[in-house]
Parts: sequence; structure tokens; C-alpha cells
Amino acid sequence: METILVNGVEKNLNQFMFKNAIFLCERLCAEFPSEVNMQLLARCYLGNNQAYCAYYILKGLKAPQSRYLFALSCVKLDHLVEAEAALLPGEDDVGEVAGGAAGNYLLGLIYRYTGRRHSSVEHFRMVLLLDPLFWEAYEELCMLGVAEEASSVFGEVALQRIQETYLGQTSSFSQRTIVNEFSDSDKTLKDSKLRHNEHFLGNGQQSVTLDSSKQLENSSQTNNSDWNTPSPVPPQVPDVAPPQLRKNLRAPAGEKMVPERLYPETRPRRSARIAARRKINMSQSSGSDADCLHASSSESNSATSLSSMIEKCRIESSKEATTSGQTISGTGNSVDDEENSRLTGFESGPSSIIFGISEVLNLLRLLGECHRHLLMYNCEDALFAYEKLSEKQYNTQWVLSQVGKAYFQLQDYFKADSVFLLAHQMYPYALEGMDIYSTVLYHLKEEMRLGYLAQELLSIDRLAPESWCALGNCYSLQKDHEAALKIFHRAIRLNQRFAYAHTLCGHEFAALEEYGDAERCYRKALDVDERHYNAWHGLGMIYLRQEKFEFAQHHFQRALRINPRSSVIMCYNGIALHESKRSDEALETLDQASISDSRNPLPIYYKANVLVGLGKYEEAAKVLEELKDCVPHESSVHGLLGKIYVHMKLYDKAVFHFGIALDLNPSAIDAVHIKACMERLIAPEELEDYI
Amino acid sequence: MATESSESEEEGKIRGGNDKLIVDEDLREMGKNAAWSVSSCKPGNGVSALRDDNLETYWQSDGLQPHLVNIQFQKKVKLQLVVMYIDFKLDESYTPSKISIRAGDGFHNLKEIKNIELVKPTGWVHISLSGADPRETFVNTFMLQIAVSSNHLNGRDSHIRQIKVYGPRPNPIPCQPFQFTSMEFITYSTVR
Repeated sequence: METILVNGVEKNLNQFMFKNAIFLCERLCAEFPSEVNMQLLARCYLGNNQAYCAYYILKGLKAPQSRYLFALSCVKLDHLVEAEAALLPGEDDVGEVAGGAAGNYLLGLIYRYTGRRHSSVEHFRMVLLLDPLFWEAYEELCMLGVAEEASSVFGEVALQRIQETYLGQTSSFSQRTIVNEFSDSDKTLKDSKLRHNEHFLGNGQQSVTLDSSKQLENSSQTNNSDWNTPSPVPPQVPDVAPPQLRKNLRAPAGEKMVPERLYPETRPRRSARIAARRKINMSQSSGSDADCLHASSSESNSATSLSSMIEKCRIESSKEATTSGQTISGTGNSVDDEENSRLTGFESGPSSIIFGISEVLNLLRLLGECHRHLLMYNCEDALFAYEKLSEKQYNTQWVLSQVGKAYFQLQDYFKADSVFLLAHQMYPYALEGMDIYSTVLYHLKEEMRLGYLAQELLSIDRLAPESWCALGNCYSLQKDHEAALKIFHRAIRLNQRFAYAHTLCGHEFAALEEYGDAERCYRKALDVDERHYNAWHGLGMIYLRQEKFEFAQHHFQRALRINPRSSVIMCYNGIALHESKRSDEALETLDQASISDSRNPLPIYYKANVLVGLGKYEEAAKVLEELKDCVPHESSVHGLLGKIYVHMKLYDKAVFHFGIALDLNPSAIDAVHIKACMERLIAPEELEDYI
Repeated sequence: MATESSESEEEGKIRGGNDKLIVDEDLREMGKNAAWSVSSCKPGNGVSALRDDNLETYWQSDGLQPHLVNIQFQKKVKLQLVVMYIDFKLDESYTPSKISIRAGDGFHNLKEIKNIELVKPTGWVHISLSGADPRETFVNTFMLQIAVSSNHLNGRDSHIRQIKVYGPRPNPIPCQPFQFTSMEFITYSTVR
């Protein structure tokens, strides 16, 4: 009876019929209470987005897999302390962190949220050691600013590791396989699997493998097609279902905290990126773990045939943050997994596997390098590296949005706009990077397009902070700052850990001149992500407006440390330096700024302003004369020139330039100011005539 | 902005009013940074009704004319426009008719800068504070006082439903002499 129930539950989990699964599982647990069955029930609950249920039933259980699932539920419920306690090995247990790579990743996240940066970095590095295909860990390291070169992370060592994984078992059925989670259509390869199974029947009764609980993914979806295959061999193990976890994309349980917003995209990304004709099946390996979740059914699963990797490996797996490739420890527990994973048998032997692995790693290495450059804000290098990707890879949503971000950082809003537009058109359902896109449109002052984008995003997902950020930007563009504020607050409520929403809130408060609140918001953004240079910059601006120039300068300095190429921040740094009476440094910074980005005309203007402040009128005039040819429609240039000529007593030229300045539609205050200056000029001239 | 139909007299006369409040984009409301007070009020219809964005509530004075609304700022601000919601159809004899706007540093040195007569107003009434001279577009002041010296139909007390005070937007870039007008400059002027 137990077997049947377990099979039933697994089947329902595979088909995402969570309520049914929960019902059956409850019966199972009532009849045969065991830790393993509790874990299964927890999986059902997690799949049904009921983390609190999973939390309660798993409380106190000691098996690594249980602890891992418990920690997962805790993180979802934001009980970070308990999660941490659950994941760490106990005093008696000298073992590793529960959950293997995934567990380490969770632990890393917990440390990051609670501000223990150093430990967090350690654990993320550990994740990459255990499973080189755990991209999210590398991304987190990049965000923390301590990622090593991609070539070292996704290099030889990783190759070895994965190889072990695949070729570890001498038998054709490698025990460990890394499951490729996102197999969409599970059923398709059922046949091939059947065939396989039969083939391996002989060796079949692999011992029931225990899935290492460690290996379980967040959302444990099992690929269990046990029930599907009419296995010729009766299940060896009395208990059932091979619990292979497959990352179930849909399962909300699969959502990770941080990449929550990435998750919804995994699906789309995947479908978008289907390049390979055959997918690699990577079944999750269940490690040799004493605690097993469920015994893998020996029948079909025993053969873990790794699908042969074909030319293009499933990129998804690499990009999938949540893939937890568990390295399979080499012992003999055979794990079988993936019933449902598409199994295509490995055609040729080890050589194709190695080739496949190196393909995957090459891709990851390339992407890793690009990403690292992007997050270190070496945007040109990042763009250059992205060019090296194949066209198919380049045209995926994730890559396109990263490229868009790179252009955004370089302040090249037109190019960013075109890239994001392409991404949005090709993948209208994907929200990653759309908040940056809305900011690009804000900068370009495209009200209509921004409004339209916001509406579209909201219709796709009302619960995503990116959509609300886009709407907020729309209101902000129309100068309705209070409405924008309300909307950004909504975005924050949806995801407290979305740093950009906090920063945008800060910008709105600053626009409303409520500097105390603005400061609070920026600091919250920095709590979430210390390398969010926009927040540092925002803080600097507030202090600049409040005339606390040293503070301002310090904050601009911090922003520059993170993003050393931003000419805008350098300009502000220069302004703050000048106002703090360090004008030489100011001039140096401004020169650097104009070198760093030759298309930015502002450093030259600010430099002229500084020179005026220092009384060096001739130099200032010279600088501005050049500038006015580059930017002929800027009224402030002429205004400033006019003032300089007044100081130099060249009244004709002054009047001339004031006239041009007035023609170029200055703002109301400036118009008044310029007219006042002109009036004063004409009077002394008339006086001179009379003398 | 002002729907002024100036007649041969020096005073401007304002007829009618707008239903919707439409103000230039380069103006922003400055009333939040000010302390508002009134010369007298009926309980329940106090000064907060002037600032609650609710056109149903109104301030009702309760004393001798002229009735005063005082708006005091902590520092000198540039003001350009005063907008009031006054409705003859609803308020009849409580509707203000002659309004004088004064500015200065405090109660001791207020000087009249604008004198307006309203004729059956029916909505948002714009009163521009600019003088004829382009240099006088703004009034740079610590305090503004709106004085109602007489009402329609010789009513004693006045109703005013809402008052808003507008001034120019400050330069978004701090410490600069001029604001930017061209796209190139504006693009590179902020990090969002």
C-alpha cells in the first residue's frame, strides 16, 4: 500500500496536482509515519506554496534532507535564524551542510541577508566547488563584488568535477546524473527510457538508492515515472518512488528568495533557448547519502543513462540558477532518477560526455566573464565579451537584458532602448531587466512608451516589483511624485529585498525635498545591496542640496569606488570638491570625467563653472566657446558665457550671449535672471554715452 | 492662466473660474512648507479646510472684515501664482468679492502687491503675482497675506474652499547658476 500511495503522490507532483498529492500523502503519512514520508509531504506543501505547512511538519526532524527542506520553508517564511540552524551541521554531525550545493547556496543567502558578508562569500564559493553549474552562486558572488575570473571557476577543476559526476560509475548506469530540471515535456522520452530500462534491467536492482536528501532541490519534484514504466522488474525497494528531484519550474517552492524574479523567467528562458535538438538530461544525482529520501526505484531508474550531450548542451541548465548539480559521490548507491527526465541514452561513451561537459563549461565561462565585468561596471569589456556569444545565446532574454543594462550604465540610452525593445518584443512575458528599461525610457522622456510598457508589465504580473517600478517611473516622469512614491512603496512591499525599488523611492522623496525620508530609503537600499551605487549617488545628491559638501563628496567617492567609470558621478564629485574649496582636485576630477566619457558635455561645463568660481574668466570663456559649438542649443552655456563677459567687461559680447540664451527657452527663473542681467548692462552703457 | 478680463479700471476683475485645476508644469505647489493661519474662523470650518484637497469643506470666517489668511514661510521663497477655489453658486453671500494680496517679511511690513475683484466666481480662480516687468515674474518673500475686504451681496463672513500657492521649480542640479535645457545636458545630468 505504501508503494502505491507513494507512486500516486509522485505522479501527482509530477503533474503539478498538488492538492491531490497532499491528500494522498496525508493518508500515506498516517498509515506509515516515517521521516521519508514526511519529507514527501513537505515537498507537496512546498509545491503548493504552503511553506508554513512544510515548516510545521518538518520541525525537529534531523535527516539532512528534512533539514534542508525545513530550512527552505524557513527562508520562505523569513525565519532566517531557524533556517541557518537547520542547515548547519550539528555538533555530533561532522558532515557538511544539509542539502549539498543547494543547502550551501541557501546558507550563503541567509548570511547575505543578515549581513555576514564574509561567511556568505565562503558558502557561495563552496557551492561552486560542489556544483560548478550552479550559476546563481556565481551571480551572487559577482553582486558581492568578489567573484573570481570565470575561467577559474568554470575551468579545469569544474570539468573534473562534472566528469566525475558523469563517469564516476563504471557501470553504464552512472549513478549520478545531474538532472536537468526543466524538462518540459516529460513524457516524451518515456519510451526511450523504457527501452533503456529494459536494457538495464539486468543490473537492475540497483539497490535502492537513496537519494541523498542533500541533493534535493528546493522544490523537490521528483521525476518519477516509475509508475509509468511497466517495469519488468518489480520494485526492489519496498518504498517507492525514486525521488528524483527535478526542479520543477512551476513549483512555487522552487522559488528562491533572491532570484524570485528570475524564476518566472526560467521557463521562458528555457523555451526561448531551445537550441539543442536533444536535451541533455541531467538528472539530479542523489548522492550517496545515508538518509535517503526515497529509495529510488530500482526498476527503471537504475540506469541512469545520461543523455548524450549533443552539440549544444542545454544551456538552461547552466543558467538555471537553481540547478543544483549535486555531485555524485562516488559510492555505489545507485541513484536513479529521472524517470521523467528525458532520457536519451548516451550514444557514445565518455568522450561525448566530456565534450558535452566542456561545451557547457565554455558557455558558462563566457557568460560568467561577461557578468563579472558587468557587475564590476567594466561595461565596455562586458559588451565586448557578450559579442562573442553565439547568436542563439545572444538572443535570449537574459543576455539581452544584461546587454541593455551594460548600455544603460554607459549612459548610452538610445542603444539600451533598442536592445531592451528587442528583448521585450521577443519575450513579452519576461520581466527581468524591465525595471532598468523603464528607467531608460524615463531618461529619454518617452512618456507614451513608458506608460504603455508599464501597463503591459502589470497585465503580465501584478505581483512583480519590476512592473510597479515601471509604473512609478511613468508617474515620476509626469512629475507626479506623490503618486510615484505610493507605487514604489507598493513595489517594496512586494519584495523587500529589491534594492532598486528602495533607491527609486529615495529619488522621489528627494524630488519632494523630504530629505530625511530620502536618506532613509537610500540607506535601506544599501542594506540590501551595498554595491548599489545609485543609492550612494542619491545620498551624495541629498547632502549636496543640503550643502553638506564633505558628506556629499564622501558618498560620491563611495559610488565611484563601485563604478569607477561613471562620468556623471565624477562630475558631481567635482562639484562637491569645488564647493568644499578643493578646487584643484575638482578640476582634476572633471578632466577625468571628460576623458572617461567623451560624449558627455557636462564635465566641460562644470569645469567652466569652477573656473568662474576661481575667478579665471579667460580660461572659462575659452572652455565655453568650444563647448557652445558642440552643444549649440543649450541655453545655460550662453547664460554662463554672458556672465563671464560681464565680469570681463566685454559688454557687447555679454549682451549678445544673453540674447541667445533667452532665445533658447530657458526656464522661468533663468529667464528672469538673464533679463535682469541684461537690464543692468544696458544702463551703464547708456551712462557711458552720456559721459 | 488668469482669466482676467481687465477693464478700464486699474483693478483686474475676474469672472468665472475653471472647474479643473490646471497649472503650468514648471510651477510647483509651495504651501506645504508654510505655516497657515486665519484671522478668525467658525468652529468646524477652520484653516485646515483650506488645505485638505477637499472641495466640500470650506473655511468660514467669524469676525470683522477684512478676513485674513496668512501664509508664512521659514525662508524667502519665490512665488508666482495663487489659486483659490471659490464658488458663488454654492456660497452666495459668503463669496469673497474684493481680495487684496500682500507680501512682506512679517505682519509689520506687509505691502499690497495685488488687488483683485471677483465677479461671480465659479471654480478655480488664478491670481498671478507677477508684475508687468519681466523682472517681476516672482515675488520673493517670507510671508503672503490674502485679505478679503468685501463679499458678494455684502455678506459679512466669507467661505473659501481651497487655496494653493505656486512658485517655480528649483534647479534639479544643485549649485548651478542655470538650469539645463537641451537633451544632451539633461541626459548626462542625473543618475537614476
